[in-house]
Amino acid sequence: MSASVSRIREPLVLGNKSYHQITEDLVGPTEKTPDRMWVIAFILSVSLFAYGMFALIWTFYFGIGSWNLNRTIGWGYDITNFVWWIGIGHAGTLISAILLLFRQRWRTGVNRAAEAMTIFAVMCAGLFPATHTGRPWFDFFMFPYPNTRGPLWVNFNSPLLWDLFAISTYFTVSLLFWYTGLVPDFASVRDRAKGIRKKIYAFVSMGWTGAAKHWQRHEYLSLVLAGIATPLVLSVHTIVSFDFATAVVPGWHTTIFPPYFVAGAIFSGFAMVQTLMVITRKAFRLQEYITVNHIESMNKVILVTGTMVGSAYLIELFIAWYSGYIYEQFAFYNRVLGPYFWAYIGMMGCNLLSPQVFWSKKIRRSVFWTFLMSIFVNIGMWFERFVIIATTLAKDFLPSSWSYYWPSWVEIGIYLGTIGLFFTLYLIFARVAPVVAIAEVKHILKQYGDQYLGPNAKEHHQEQSEKAH
Amino acid sequence: MKQFIFEAKQKQFLMGLMALGAVCLVLSYIFEPDSIAEAGFHQRFWSNLLHNGAFFTGMAFMTTFVIAAFVTAYSGWHVMFKRLWEAFSLFLIVGLVIFVLLGLGNVFHLHHLYHWAAEGITDPSSPNFDEVIAGKAGFLNNGWYIGGTLLIGGLWYFIARRMRQLSVQEDIDGDKVENFAYHRKIRFWAALFLPIAAFTGPALIWQWVMSVDAHWYSTLFAWYSMASWFLAACSLTILLLIYLKSLGYFEKVTVEHLHDLGKYMFAFSIFWTYCWFSQYMLIWYGNVGEETIYFKERLTHYPVLFYGNLFVNFALPFLILMRNTTKRRKGTLVFTAILVFIGHWWDYFYMIKPGTLITAQEAAHAGAHEAAQHGAAGFVAGFTIPGLLELGIMLGFVGLFIYVVFHHLSKVSLDPVNDPYYEESVHHEVQPYE
Amino acid sequence: MKSHSKKVLFGLYNDEEELMAAISGAKSKHLNIMDVYSPFPIHGMEKILGLEESRLHIVGFIFGMIGTLTAFLGMTWIFTSDWPTIFGGKPYFSLPAFVPIIFELTVLFSAIAMTVVFYIVCGLGFGVDNPILDDRITDDKFCLAFQTNDLSGTDVSNIKKFLKESGAAEIHEKEV
Repeated sequence: MSASVSRIREPLVLGNKSYHQITEDLVGPTEKTPDRMWVIAFILSVSLFAYGMFALIWTFYFGIGSWNLNRTIGWGYDITNFVWWIGIGHAGTLISAILLLFRQRWRTGVNRAAEAMTIFAVMCAGLFPATHTGRPWFDFFMFPYPNTRGPLWVNFNSPLLWDLFAISTYFTVSLLFWYTGLVPDFASVRDRAKGIRKKIYAFVSMGWTGAAKHWQRHEYLSLVLAGIATPLVLSVHTIVSFDFATAVVPGWHTTIFPPYFVAGAIFSGFAMVQTLMVITRKAFRLQEYITVNHIESMNKVILVTGTMVGSAYLIELFIAWYSGYIYEQFAFYNRVLGPYFWAYIGMMGCNLLSPQVFWSKKIRRSVFWTFLMSIFVNIGMWFERFVIIATTLAKDFLPSSWSYYWPSWVEIGIYLGTIGLFFTLYLIFARVAPVVAIAEVKHILKQYGDQYLGPNAKEHHQEQSEKAH
Repeated sequence: MKQFIFEAKQKQFLMGLMALGAVCLVLSYIFEPDSIAEAGFHQRFWSNLLHNGAFFTGMAFMTTFVIAAFVTAYSGWHVMFKRLWEAFSLFLIVGLVIFVLLGLGNVFHLHHLYHWAAEGITDPSSPNFDEVIAGKAGFLNNGWYIGGTLLIGGLWYFIARRMRQLSVQEDIDGDKVENFAYHRKIRFWAALFLPIAAFTGPALIWQWVMSVDAHWYSTLFAWYSMASWFLAACSLTILLLIYLKSLGYFEKVTVEHLHDLGKYMFAFSIFWTYCWFSQYMLIWYGNVGEETIYFKERLTHYPVLFYGNLFVNFALPFLILMRNTTKRRKGTLVFTAILVFIGHWWDYFYMIKPGTLITAQEAAHAGAHEAAQHGAAGFVAGFTIPGLLELGIMLGFVGLFIYVVFHHLSKVSLDPVNDPYYEESVHHEVQPYE
Repeated sequence: MKSHSKKVLFGLYNDEEELMAAISGAKSKHLNIMDVYSPFPIHGMEKILGLEESRLHIVGFIFGMIGTLTAFLGMTWIFTSDWPTIFGGKPYFSLPAFVPIIFELTVLFSAIAMTVVFYIVCGLGFGVDNPILDDRITDDKFCLAFQTNDLSGTDVSNIKKFLKESGAAEIHEKEV
């Protein structure tokens, strides 16, 4: 039954937990009234969101003209932020799906929160292209449906439309995956609740009983969904990269964009997970479930993907020189030494250089450094998108129309608003649902609990496995 | 059986394959396609050497990469057969010899594999002068071709050897050292190798393979060809494991391990297709002449190579390996592994041959640009599709590769009993819900 | 569903290994298990219980194919006959440009269909009110349940005896 676990591995559940204690610890936060920190954070997030709504309504009322977009710079803050958020939205499905397939057990501590984060990030991302259309009340035109404009269809050959399909699909599948995983945990909350809470959780837990056949199908569904979500998560950022790479704009039209965007998305997604997890584990006292070991593993992913992204930057730079194509060479010269050199430095510094500190085990296992680096990476990945979009468009083919883009307060406002929206949703989620997947943690307890594995183990896994075989 | 015995019969058979390969190689030296025969470049011979050299060396490189990646990612299931992969990785040294030969061929103009190595190509006063290539001379030059290969390849080989030494040493007294010291040392070298491979791998792939089409470039090319190498290594692992199991070795490698290897083959076939599609679609969509020429040439004159590549490397493994049962049945697994192995060998054929043919034609006919426009019109033996000689050469290289692998395998115990993940690997089960 | 109530006799175990042993015991005694409930999925249980492998992937495959065909045929029809459009000098039928949407719709159809079918075959859904034998089953108790409607008194006491012997911490009877 319980497969044997090497003694070289570290425990993933600390504190000698029993099954009951796990339920107690993880359902607990949803049963208490929020503490003051939560309330303050919530008020801050909601106000930020409200400010964003104000900027958004301003945009709707006065039009896109209130943004500092201009001739040649058709994409600015809006698409930068869109790509940034979509990238962040990759970690959840990646942790749940790819790490599930690769049997990385540490995902159980963080997958639920990461999936929630994914969904919220995709919602924030979707806001930008929807607004950028200028008349968002006509956005339904983007969907192919029989219409009154004659047999006029959307352009299925446009990468922007692929994006619409990719993101809607990604959002739907992530939602299904996340919610199906939540159902048994909602049932745990339901069975401890009373009164109106019991009614609500009974409704959302869909009558879950924990029957053997249901578990079997549930596990099977998670596995197959993980299987198809894996290429899906790759496809989403790939298609976002197609938005750029199908164009013949120097600096955009390069074949490495798809995998390099995906690596960058994983990179930034994990950074955001770290930011949230470091706070969440402290606020809800989950240090025994989201252990330093979990944090270290994610830091390693950040180091790997950061280096991959870095190697892609250098490949791009090298091939720009190698191509012998002067416009390509200029595009990269302009990135590195042009007016936006500071963004390039920010990108290289935060994405390629700064994660290299994670070679040190001490720093990898330090919560403070982790938090700091996660913020760095978030900033760095924002710069990356800014470099790709603004730098390239500011100096395009016609030197007479070269200019310099800087966002207006409205654009900054919308960006801040999405940050507010993101945290508002996350804070609500953390109140109403268990932030760590209860059933999955119980499932690995007998292999990865610290009473079974590591220095405090009471009985060794070897005996454990012999008993089982 | 813990000790692999490299029997005389096997040696003879593998020697036989190598002899066949050598004969075919010599024949391909003689039988040059008509359109370039007069020039006496022996392009077929040299391009075969490049094609197989790149393919088999790359497999060794990717195996080292995978060992390093698995070790750093705490993978436990593969250690039952890690000796096989360690033996794979040592083929690197043979590969380096081949590339030094090719590099010397450049220096002495024995062949015209690389347009950038032609005489006077960077000299503005020469009739051969090519401005674009002159711009690349900092990277594409004879010195760096040999020097870079030796430097980078040597580094790879050094780390691969180091990891294997530690792993073998662990077998001997790993149970006496504290705190998995050997494994931690391997992990150090593995972690070091990953960024090194990430930065240097593309450099060698560009100069070995991509610079065959000296004007053309694609940023994704390196990652795409690395995926191809990995698949080839993975399929050969499956084949050799099944063969060695049938002799009674590796008895602890069960259908569960093979299932996982099958999964890798499946997943990476999709990943390979993803890379292929990204590269093709972006170039097709952008429609920039300098880039599309690569696919235009292949689609017009090499349709069999082009579509065959996709069919064998995507459609077939995807459809066959989709079900779990096919990944657990030896028959289907062997069949697919052979397909995938040949498929990726075919993929390298497709990457290298068209470029070398054009280069030779350009060099053979003075009106270089006219020749480039005509390309490889019609059927050209050994270039349009792999001929019998090419197949023989492949078998020869397979024999050589397996000979080296078996040679190294026979020197150490097959059972890594002191690996910290040994127990996990023994009890490895592909649970349906993992 | 609730036309007539079920009488259920069930034992609660504290540990999944005890439960597994009990299931094997019940199987060897040819007791007719109604169902097994647990707070988390237990590996190897489907083998002991003799559950068939799930066939959800077939649903996924069929609907995935429907998605593929919808996207492929739809775009082909639209761009070759309904409203041919030239973009970037490409032919009307430009397969490479169709691939992304074909892929997305394949995944979308397959994921939605599998999830919906999962909830339908399990009889789960918003507002479904399945009877709960014990509130601690979603916490830390492992439940082995027998239906006793048609059983004689001796059979019932036999099952009770079996539950006690196999190490059940608690034994309850409940009408649901």
